[in-house]
Amino acid sequence: MTAPVISNVPEPSSVEPTAHRPAPRVRWRTPRWMRGTVLVWIAAVVLVAAVLAAVFAPWLAPNDPDRIDLMNQYASPSAAHWFGTDSLGRDLLSRMMHGARTALLGPLLVVIGSTILGMLLGLLAAWRGGWVDAVLARLFDLLFAFPALLLAILAVALFGKGLVAPVIAMAIAYAPIVARLTRQLVLAEKQRAYVSAYRVQGFGGGWIALNRVLPNVTPVVGAQSTLNFGYVLAELAGLSFLGLGVQAPQSDWGSMINEAQVGLLSGHYLPAIIPAVAVVLVVVAVNILGEEFAERIGGNKA
Amino acid sequence: MNIVRSVGGKLAGLVLTLFLASLLVFFSRFLVPGDPLSFLLRGRKPSPEAIAAVTEQYGLNLSPWEQYLKWIGGIFTGDFGRSMQYRQSVSEVLLDRLPVTLGLVIIAGLLITVFGLAAGILAAVKRGTWVDKTVVVTLTAFGAIPSFVAAVGFIALFAVQLGWFPSFGSGEGFWDTVRHLILPSAALALVYVVLIGKVTRSAMVEQLGREHVEVATSRGLSPAAVVRRHVLRNAVGPILTVSGMLVAGLLVSSSIIESAFGLSGLGSLLVQSVDRLDFPVVQAIVLLVVAVFVAVNAVVDLLQPLVDPRTVAGAGAR
Amino acid sequence: MSLLEISQLTLDLPGGKRLLHGIDLSVEPGRTVGLVGESGSGKSLTARTALGLFPERAVLGGSVRVDGVEVLGLAGPALRALRRRDVAMVFQDPRAGINPVRTLGDHLTEALRLGEGVSGEAARKRAMELMEAVRLPRPEKHFHQYPHELSGGQLQRIMIAGALMGNPRLLVCDEPTTALDVTTQAEIVRLLATLRDERGMGMLFITHDLGLAGALCDDVVVLAGGRVQERGDMAAVLAAPAAEYTRRLVAATPSLHLDDAPVVSLPDAGRLAGAGGRHEAGPATGGAAAGEAPDGAASAEATAGTRAGDDAVVPAEPAVPSAPAAGATAGTGAGDDAVVPLLRVDGVSRTYAVRGKDPVTAVADASFAIPRGAALGVVGESGSGKSTLARMVVGLETPDRGTITVAGKDRTGTPRGREERLAHARSVQMVFQDPYLSLDPRIPVHRAVRDAAALHAEGRDPAKVATELLDRVGLTVEQQAARPRTLSGGQRQRVAMARALAVQPELLVMDEATSALDVSVQAQVLELVTQLRAERGLTVLFISHDLGVVRRVCDETLVLRRGEIVEAGPTAALLDHPAHEYTRLLLDSVPRPDAGWRLAG
Repeated sequence: MTAPVISNVPEPSSVEPTAHRPAPRVRWRTPRWMRGTVLVWIAAVVLVAAVLAAVFAPWLAPNDPDRIDLMNQYASPSAAHWFGTDSLGRDLLSRMMHGARTALLGPLLVVIGSTILGMLLGLLAAWRGGWVDAVLARLFDLLFAFPALLLAILAVALFGKGLVAPVIAMAIAYAPIVARLTRQLVLAEKQRAYVSAYRVQGFGGGWIALNRVLPNVTPVVGAQSTLNFGYVLAELAGLSFLGLGVQAPQSDWGSMINEAQVGLLSGHYLPAIIPAVAVVLVVVAVNILGEEFAERIGGNKA
Repeated sequence: MNIVRSVGGKLAGLVLTLFLASLLVFFSRFLVPGDPLSFLLRGRKPSPEAIAAVTEQYGLNLSPWEQYLKWIGGIFTGDFGRSMQYRQSVSEVLLDRLPVTLGLVIIAGLLITVFGLAAGILAAVKRGTWVDKTVVVTLTAFGAIPSFVAAVGFIALFAVQLGWFPSFGSGEGFWDTVRHLILPSAALALVYVVLIGKVTRSAMVEQLGREHVEVATSRGLSPAAVVRRHVLRNAVGPILTVSGMLVAGLLVSSSIIESAFGLSGLGSLLVQSVDRLDFPVVQAIVLLVVAVFVAVNAVVDLLQPLVDPRTVAGAGAR
Repeated sequence: MSLLEISQLTLDLPGGKRLLHGIDLSVEPGRTVGLVGESGSGKSLTARTALGLFPERAVLGGSVRVDGVEVLGLAGPALRALRRRDVAMVFQDPRAGINPVRTLGDHLTEALRLGEGVSGEAARKRAMELMEAVRLPRPEKHFHQYPHELSGGQLQRIMIAGALMGNPRLLVCDEPTTALDVTTQAEIVRLLATLRDERGMGMLFITHDLGLAGALCDDVVVLAGGRVQERGDMAAVLAAPAAEYTRRLVAATPSLHLDDAPVVSLPDAGRLAGAGGRHEAGPATGGAAAGEAPDGAASAEATAGTRAGDDAVVPAEPAVPSAPAAGATAGTGAGDDAVVPLLRVDGVSRTYAVRGKDPVTAVADASFAIPRGAALGVVGESGSGKSTLARMVVGLETPDRGTITVAGKDRTGTPRGREERLAHARSVQMVFQDPYLSLDPRIPVHRAVRDAAALHAEGRDPAKVATELLDRVGLTVEQQAARPRTLSGGQRQRVAMARALAVQPELLVMDEATSALDVSVQAQVLELVTQLRAERGLTVLFISHDLGVVRRVCDETLVLRRGEIVEAGPTAALLDHPAHEYTRLLLDSVPRPDAGWRLAG
């Protein structure tokens, strides 16, 4: 699926120690035209709509998402079924709205869990250095060899199908990505004289790390974690697509696409296309917002 | 990590990572509460002989470490145990499935290299122009398409609607196989083309801002020579590193693609084995993916000094 | 016809911002023109147009002619031929300017091979000749080496050789020595002068350093804000600058000469002594500070100044470092055990382990002392261990051997525990080198100072302390409320000083605290240091690579080379009559327009 690994490889531009001096702005910079403006607003609207649909699905959904109506297979969109029905005559709109709940909640939990775990481990590695850093680096290396989806599949193999085990597994799989970024940022901050200045003023190491350095790296780490959301969503949906995630009859975007595959061959595209478009739209929206977020924060760093 | 980054150090690191990974894969089973025998035989009604066979094979009456040694020792002799769902050894099952996955990954790799590099180079060289913008927007859009969505979309469009490619199965003979694999490979490659394209572009743009590029320009070199000798050449390191990191994801993604296209490769075997509670096969495939990933990245690491001589300097006297 | 004729040159960025406002400039064959200005003055932009180099999508106006040929609008093969044959450029930082992944031979020969179609063998031969001409020791070997295998100075020679490959008639040098140590700078500048004379090249030499320009250039053009401020004969401009801006620049340029160093002699020396600078020569005894320096009375009996004629600031007990030969005890002063200097560094050493290499000794057996109220300069090139010394004094690093005491209390090594940390902080504070990194970007200036004051409140109101100090260093109310990124480098260093003073330290360490600043800003900050010393009786350990700066601030100076103190003594005496050959080398390396440095063509 969408590989999470990309975010653990620092963008080449961030590998080099960046000069913090305001250089004369004659060099070419990241394209400005992609951020701000209409695109960001559209992304925000899409995301808010998805979240609202998910939260209020039981009240908003026009039909019972699991009610089978074999007289009404593959119905075209109509007033009764805005998005039509699937192979069992279930209302697609209602299934989409209920499916949004698992589709969004899973990634949210993974992002929050991996961010907290990763930031603490990264801070610990960078601040303590020495053998702590060495051991943690080895642990991160090890976890990188297990892509998130693989770890999630292994978790299912061990603990059975469902969402809980994969979510925990993916939070663990994403944690080293956050941790490496945090570590790298904290190391860079540590080099900056202001940290030495705090020490010289008599502030304690733990206080500096938690109250001064951590807040300084949090925005960048947070923005990067936001970008992970899209990947996680795609991967968890992929897991459902494989039939290993959320189990029937509960609806999930991934499993909806899976179920719709049979109809695909006989030309019934809608039941597959609607969840597919939803997945892509939400991923795009989250990525646009995440990049906007990251860019603004990057610009704020003096 | 103050290990001197020499070849020896890297190989030691490789062995250590593989060792730790094998521990993780093996002992993960011990995280499951309850009796190991009932875990391994979940969903089956085993005969007493089968129970005896599984107990013997896993050495369930031995201590955990002895079990591990027995397992890892078997792997060194090519013995991954016996499959629960097939009446075959795991290694036989794996070998049966290997060719399809290999073909899929090779074709996808070619697509990724060609299109990813081309897109990245084009965008970087034309940076700031409409060409760059078009490439970046296209990449960003494609990047948001998960491979299972791509698979479904490709089947609907190219197989069902247009009928250009078969939608199912892996075909007979070389060319038919290739024909059957093109659509799955493209679906698999899509996300990685985007990733490599973006990395190539940003690595090159980063180099374009470097002073040595300006110096080369000031010496009267042609733009093509500057890009080739000073921009692309210097961007190879980061691109290579990222490529190595992507291998694991590519292998796992193939499980989704194979399932969607009904290919019987290792990926679909993994999913099927999870579904059918065939833990020995799951264990073997996970270990295989990890081993390939670690090996590929060790090779990338070893290539790095050829790409950037400064990495040799780090090795120092050792 | 002039070799280079720039007239009415303008440059606008795509956004419409004008960076150059009609520059006129010409270089005659065989002549050297200095293009002098501070950062952002547009000097690099101007010079680069001679090679047809400018920011992408910038709009240019006016004319740039090389040998009568218009460069603006030149494109493709013709432009590349100009760059290969007529005009070449030496860039500021050879470490960044030479591709790290290609061999030096490739760097030297690529333009000839690819552009002129010269055979590999012929290009190689030419590269060998030029590597000899720039006096590189082993051309054969260097040809196959990579940039990281050479030192900065050697790399800059490669860069120069590369520029000369096409036998250019005009050489543009953009601050070619700024990234190098003083002694290396002197060698490179002399090399450039020799090459220019041998080849009869015209030279356009960009620098921020008036002294350097004075040594090397025939004519000078002074640039500020994208406009020419003054032009004319180099010596004439230096002697009698006409434009207001040039006058300020000349005045701000640190110099080694006593007569034009305006700041060092403290007019308030008496007040200083009364305010806490104890045990000075002269009659000042007793006073409020006597209690702090228990042996203040005894110190008053110390023999009168070693440097009669200078102001009384200079301690009778010179901050004598025990040069290795002199023995460790000399640090205490001439057998006067009664005097407790404020800072006493005794036999301090620090060695770093470098992986794969021999350990590096950053500081070796350093011993010296600073009397209360005095200012000691520590001078050395990069790698001399001066920063390590500073970090050990402030407790950021622990010495391998030796002791450090401040006001009689042991302050060796990094403090452990809250009490020790606070005590150490009240003994020593530090102003760091890079103003852009030494303030927490997230914390508004006033809060930063307040936090420091609050940690060491001792009954004071931290907010009030912060306001007072920031007012004192000259920050407006708006600036005090701002985050650091809105402040200039000079303002940030002022904040850093206020923050250090908020702790009320006995000793202030300034580690290259002005080296990142433009000369005029540097002069203001140095002036502030001098005033604060006078007001508060601060004891200062001033670390710098710049002898001129040390000359302005410090009574005593010691010279570090590779971790060892090679010479020490009163600043004036040391600069006027250096005893050690290394000190002489350092002094000779400072460019100035007089004997031994007359390099103008």
